[in-house]
Amino acid sequence: MKKQQLERLPLRPKRSSRETRIQGIDIVICIILVFFALLIIFPFWHAFVISISSKDAYSRNSFLLWPTELDFTAYKMVFSDMRLWNGYKITLLLLFVGTLYQLFFTVITGYALSRKKWVGKNFVMNMILVTMFFGGGLIPYYYLIQSLGMMNSVLVMIIPGAIDTFNMLLMRNYFASLPAEMEESAKIDGANDIVTFVKIFLPLSLPMLATVGLFFAVGNWNSWYNAMIFISDSSKWPLQMVLKDMISEMSSQMETPTATETFSEGMTMAAIFFTIVPIMCFYPFLQRFFVKGIVVGAIKG
Amino acid sequence: MELVTISRRNNPFRKFGRKALQSKYLIMMILPAVVFYVIFNYLPMYGIVLAFKSFNPIKGVINSPWNGFDNFKEVFKDPNFWPVFGNTLIIGSVKIVIGFLGAVITAILLNELRMRRTKKTIQTIVTFPHFLSWIVISGFVFSLFAYHGAVNSVIEASGGQPVQFLRNKPFFFFLIFATDIWKEAGWGSIIYLATMAGIPQDQYEAADIDGASRLQKIWHITLPGIKSVAILLLIMSVGGVLSAGFDQLLNLTPRALEGKIDIIDTYIYRNYIGEVDPSQVGIGAAIGLFKSVIGFVLVITVDRIAKAFGERGII
Repeated sequence: MKKQQLERLPLRPKRSSRETRIQGIDIVICIILVFFALLIIFPFWHAFVISISSKDAYSRNSFLLWPTELDFTAYKMVFSDMRLWNGYKITLLLLFVGTLYQLFFTVITGYALSRKKWVGKNFVMNMILVTMFFGGGLIPYYYLIQSLGMMNSVLVMIIPGAIDTFNMLLMRNYFASLPAEMEESAKIDGANDIVTFVKIFLPLSLPMLATVGLFFAVGNWNSWYNAMIFISDSSKWPLQMVLKDMISEMSSQMETPTATETFSEGMTMAAIFFTIVPIMCFYPFLQRFFVKGIVVGAIKG
Repeated sequence: MELVTISRRNNPFRKFGRKALQSKYLIMMILPAVVFYVIFNYLPMYGIVLAFKSFNPIKGVINSPWNGFDNFKEVFKDPNFWPVFGNTLIIGSVKIVIGFLGAVITAILLNELRMRRTKKTIQTIVTFPHFLSWIVISGFVFSLFAYHGAVNSVIEASGGQPVQFLRNKPFFFFLIFATDIWKEAGWGSIIYLATMAGIPQDQYEAADIDGASRLQKIWHITLPGIKSVAILLLIMSVGGVLSAGFDQLLNLTPRALEGKIDIIDTYIYRNYIGEVDPSQVGIGAAIGLFKSVIGFVLVITVDRIAKAFGERGII
């Protein structure tokens, strides 16, 4: 023990001193990063201040760093807006049903493709990889959805998204990294592939399931693309589409203001918080799962 | 008798059947995926034939008459198309470059930051915008840059004339790139940070002994350490250069510029989707195919180039 320390001393500078010595450049780096962070926080803060200000304060000066006249009318209006609650309902449906649905199909596909050679595996794998680099484009897809009868149906926001190739490969790589001996011993004990998957591999991959599930959940929470293209009935719009509508009203109001009673800027900002607060609350605690997903995916994929 | 059994065992069909039976559960698990990919990815690929047909909604995709390359000729003759193509190329390629630089620079700065707590907090903040939709971001942008928005308030308060930011094309390009960095630089840095964490510490220690400066260590150790990951990610992003960000463009385009700055995807969406003249459908499909083919060719080319320089490709 003592000998080791003696050996280390002349060769390596003491770690702790290297970590704590703060040079001028560290301060510069810190300032740049803090500036970047503030640049990111600013629009949130500004939007938040607008949402809790009164219409008068806002129309006098639309650059609000601090709420001068506290006024929660915007939130009252948002909470009594049926369009938003309806959108919330659709989004929650997508969030729970959609995420479970996607998770189920993505995970079983990833598992099957992670197992050793079986008939047709390479064929299926190539078939899936091709779609990452080549697609038919929007117009054929549009007519496909039309002929499947999914126009103007909530299903169009769920059904086509069953398998996300990136997340599927993430699961596949994870399953493939687990020791193959477990599968062999389960097989010897007479378990078939489904039993092995459910009883052995699934319980071992809970962290990865959480990662992929969270990616799906965020995607569903933010989903609007399919709704915009395929759903014209606004009662079936998810939250984001309702928000999109409100924002476009607000932006035309801000370019050429017309005299209205409502405070559309404040209301829109309140609606924005209505949609992002859930992500903001969960993100700091779930960040590590997301980070894990992207690291595992990019290094092995 | 024995000969017969041997030949039966070697019958390729039986062999295949036996093998398939061995892995019947795995095949059951993959079956839904095959169905989904065929329906939602391969059927639209079949729909590419629309690009070579003059579409007739009554006859349907299959029975519509072929018209060779007429749709493509129509596209390339269209004076509206080339500006759109140019915008797409400019926006797409600049975004690849600044996206890459933004992520790498953020990663290097975070990696060099020695205050652990600050580093974690900043990382949480800068990765967060990735999880916002462009719809939310468009709300922020309009509230800041509209004619009666915050920035003009500041300009007026300091005695200047308000600026029509949202009617200005060059400003719009700036906005596209700035919001792209704002949203994705932090998230993009994660993968580089993870790669940097994997660089052996003794390289830095050896450099310390040789008296290398911080900058030299970054240049000679950190950057070479992330090179292959960077090249891999660049190859992957090059294929998407013509995608250029449908979500972003569609939501950030202010009303005054609607239809004036389009990329291929928004152009198709605005002009060829929904209630359109059926004669236009083939043209829209031709534009889509043109885009897909260029993307595909680019990925293959860049992959070859990377391999020629001794890097790990993706194909």
